[in-house]
Amino acid sequence: MSDTITDTAERPSAVYTGGDERLAYRGIFQRLFIRPEIGALIGVIGLWVFFWAVADPFGRAQGASNLIDYASTLGIMAVAVSMLMIGGEFDLSAGAMTGAMGILVIMLSKASGEFGGLGLNLWIAIPISFAVAMGIGFANGWLVERTKLPSFIITLGTYYVLIGAKLGFSKLIVDQIQVGDISEAGGHGFWVKIFAAEWNRNDHQWDQRDTVYVIALMAAIALVVIAITEMHFSRRHEGAKASGLPIFGIGAAGVVAGLVVLHTTDNTSGNWLGAAVVAAGALVGLYGFGAWRFQPIQGRGAVRFTPEVVKYLVAGLVGVGLSILIAAVMNPSYPIDGPDGVVEDDLFFPFTKQGFRATMFLIFVAVGFTSLLIAASKARRVSTATKSVVAMISVIALVVTAFFIRSESVAVKFRTEAFSVVLGLALFVLAWTILGLLFEERSAVDQRSDRLGSRLIAAAAVAVVIGMVAKLLFTTSAEIESEIAQAKFSMRTVWFIAFTIVAVLVLGKTRFGSWTFAVGGNKEAARQVGVPAARTKTQLFMLVSGAAWLVGMLLAFRLNTIQANTGNGEEFDYIIAAVVGGTLLTGGYGTALGGALGALIIAQATLGIPFSRWNSDWRFLFLGVTLLLAVLANRSIRSKAESMRR
Amino acid sequence: MADHLLELDNISKYYGNIIALSDVSTFVNAGEVTCVLGDNGAGKSTFIKILAGVHQQTEGSIRMNGQEVRFDSPRDALSNGIATVYQDLAMVPLMSVWRNFFLGAEPTKGIGPVRWIDKAKAKGIAKEEMAKMGIDIRDTEQPVGTLSGGERQSVAIARAGYFGAKVLILDEPTSALGVKQSGVVLKRIVEARKQGLAVIFITHNPRHAYPVGNRFLILNRGHSMGSFAKEDISIEELTRLMAGGAELEALEHELEAAGAVSPGGHHDG
Repeated sequence: MSDTITDTAERPSAVYTGGDERLAYRGIFQRLFIRPEIGALIGVIGLWVFFWAVADPFGRAQGASNLIDYASTLGIMAVAVSMLMIGGEFDLSAGAMTGAMGILVIMLSKASGEFGGLGLNLWIAIPISFAVAMGIGFANGWLVERTKLPSFIITLGTYYVLIGAKLGFSKLIVDQIQVGDISEAGGHGFWVKIFAAEWNRNDHQWDQRDTVYVIALMAAIALVVIAITEMHFSRRHEGAKASGLPIFGIGAAGVVAGLVVLHTTDNTSGNWLGAAVVAAGALVGLYGFGAWRFQPIQGRGAVRFTPEVVKYLVAGLVGVGLSILIAAVMNPSYPIDGPDGVVEDDLFFPFTKQGFRATMFLIFVAVGFTSLLIAASKARRVSTATKSVVAMISVIALVVTAFFIRSESVAVKFRTEAFSVVLGLALFVLAWTILGLLFEERSAVDQRSDRLGSRLIAAAAVAVVIGMVAKLLFTTSAEIESEIAQAKFSMRTVWFIAFTIVAVLVLGKTRFGSWTFAVGGNKEAARQVGVPAARTKTQLFMLVSGAAWLVGMLLAFRLNTIQANTGNGEEFDYIIAAVVGGTLLTGGYGTALGGALGALIIAQATLGIPFSRWNSDWRFLFLGVTLLLAVLANRSIRSKAESMRR
Repeated sequence: MADHLLELDNISKYYGNIIALSDVSTFVNAGEVTCVLGDNGAGKSTFIKILAGVHQQTEGSIRMNGQEVRFDSPRDALSNGIATVYQDLAMVPLMSVWRNFFLGAEPTKGIGPVRWIDKAKAKGIAKEEMAKMGIDIRDTEQPVGTLSGGERQSVAIARAGYFGAKVLILDEPTSALGVKQSGVVLKRIVEARKQGLAVIFITHNPRHAYPVGNRFLILNRGHSMGSFAKEDISIEELTRLMAGGAELEALEHELEAAGAVSPGGHHDG
């Protein structure tokens, strides 16, 4: 080991660190993985890729709009319930309350018609219903605090009170198990815009959309790459070297030129030329960036394959090979381009044959590349050179996989998009490997670099959001010509996003947020140091009932008529979404964003199965397996996070 | 004689017909440590609870700087500058050090009703206050649950000091700790004393009390065995008094006969 530089303890610690020198250095991926919602984020992306491969509509704007619409109401509740669970309590009445609030506002506002009602203007009825919601939340909280009984029991009571009241009052007043026609109430014209306005994508044409989309995505990728290198490599000990900057500039110019070629030409050779220029530009630019900022490497060590490295390397290659073999053997004899392409004997119970093929392919690909990743991390401990060899093998495997998808996949959209994504990934790993051979990895804490890196990643996230919003909200003349299905977005999504943002800020940045974690983590301790524990918990119950009120309004104005059983039983979906999102069932740990991501996972599982044209009887089995996997992933991530912080 | 910072005069506490504490007197000055020693059931808990405002004494008086005071609630005691660090610390294990440090009294900034926690300030103060106590906390973002027992005690002590405590009551801070961790906590007590705090250190281990104490109050079965300045008492005498004098000696002889005792006869706290 004397010829390697991987023994981090002996390296001189960087002069530029802003942190405590006794903080053990954590690798960049470990640093990213200690967030509680990371399991849910991986789940969202993984499920998306999975359904993208098996169900064509999933990758399209229509699929996205359906998914987001379904996730919105669920997500509002999941975020509120996550906060309550962080505070250590449950609310089983939350689901029934959503329908109850919708029914209440309709009954208050409707004057006439077969469904009857009180006849108040919506300007009066809506504040009243909100006050009632706050009252129910307060009652839940007050009872739990007063009696010291588990909130499970108290809110189970509220749950039955609410379903009884919904059914009873509906029958008593309108003699129906549904109440409806809020559209006849006074003030409807204004409030329907607040709660149910819709954005129809096909009415909004913007032909520069794809340019904006591509620029935003490219900017995001560039920012992420720079951020990761910034957080991964050691800064030059003697300060930045300006001679690297022109090289960086030339590389960046090359990337832009290549993109312009890609954008303006429309034939195969032009595309290849453009892609090659982009790749070369990216490599040159990164080299220049590294030469400018990072410390050149001192020794790379010898290539030496330990049995451990070989084991994972072989496992990885076998996994990738098997995935390609299976997909090739199961090759359907004809392409399936639309629902009409399915014939009865193409079904491979319970999936379609294509679904089964894609599933097997993705599972083996995932196993294969995970093994290669482990092999690389084992090799890193042997020497930099060994790591580079393993990484290069992974690059080749990635390229092979990319071309296999391009030539063999039957899902049209997946074929082209996955090809470019996997090829881009291969380029990224290649660049990473080359940089790793040239510059020294960081081995000490450098808070300045970390801060810069995380800011760059945040900027990249903003760029991605801008690109996606442009892509989802606008259409182009080409799309209208090809008559791609409509996509609509509703105010409920705006409410969902706004609610999530506010919840994240409140939990992370305010005293109330701090107190929420405290009363859930150790209520007695919180009380001893002066946290108003009872008040905090009551406010959390009121937050959940306020969210239920909001969802009730969204339902009432969307559906116009509400059934007496609307929302009953959905409270478990909220709790599941919160748990999948990384919130601890026992309280004191979790995030609001995790709840939102958990809602997206449930929406994906619920909608993905019919999209894939699978037998939807299997939905719950699928949902259950997804949940178990998510919870297990969260558990291991959390224990890793805890041990790492020691 | 000058007034003491905190003085207890013939304090007694009865629960119905049970005498939990009778005629206990001692005092503590700023920059001094008064140790309260006693075996289990000696009345140490009752003693703390009276000072912390959880219970009120049945007889006797408490004076601060010569003024007679009475603590009707824990908040009352706190506002008089008496901070109590209990054995089961008031900490939320999954929350970070700085959040625990400021829990319930977070510094905020913002415009009007929109207020958020001033994180940079809170983290800076937490780190600085811990440094003043001689603890260089590695990362104020790490959860308290990952700290050692001694470090947790240190956070609680630093917190009490920062929030204006004049008298710091420590309830058996070393009882659950190993030898080394106990040493860490004892060092904190010395630091707190140096900063001008009056410390009341409750323990059942004379070997922990003797090196840091200026004054020793010994309780046995609710009765005071006397309050001594350090010059007036040796550690052997302290140990003997604490165990009820002759009783322990008899036990020692008995155990020696059985061949099972080491000099001093004490377990490690």
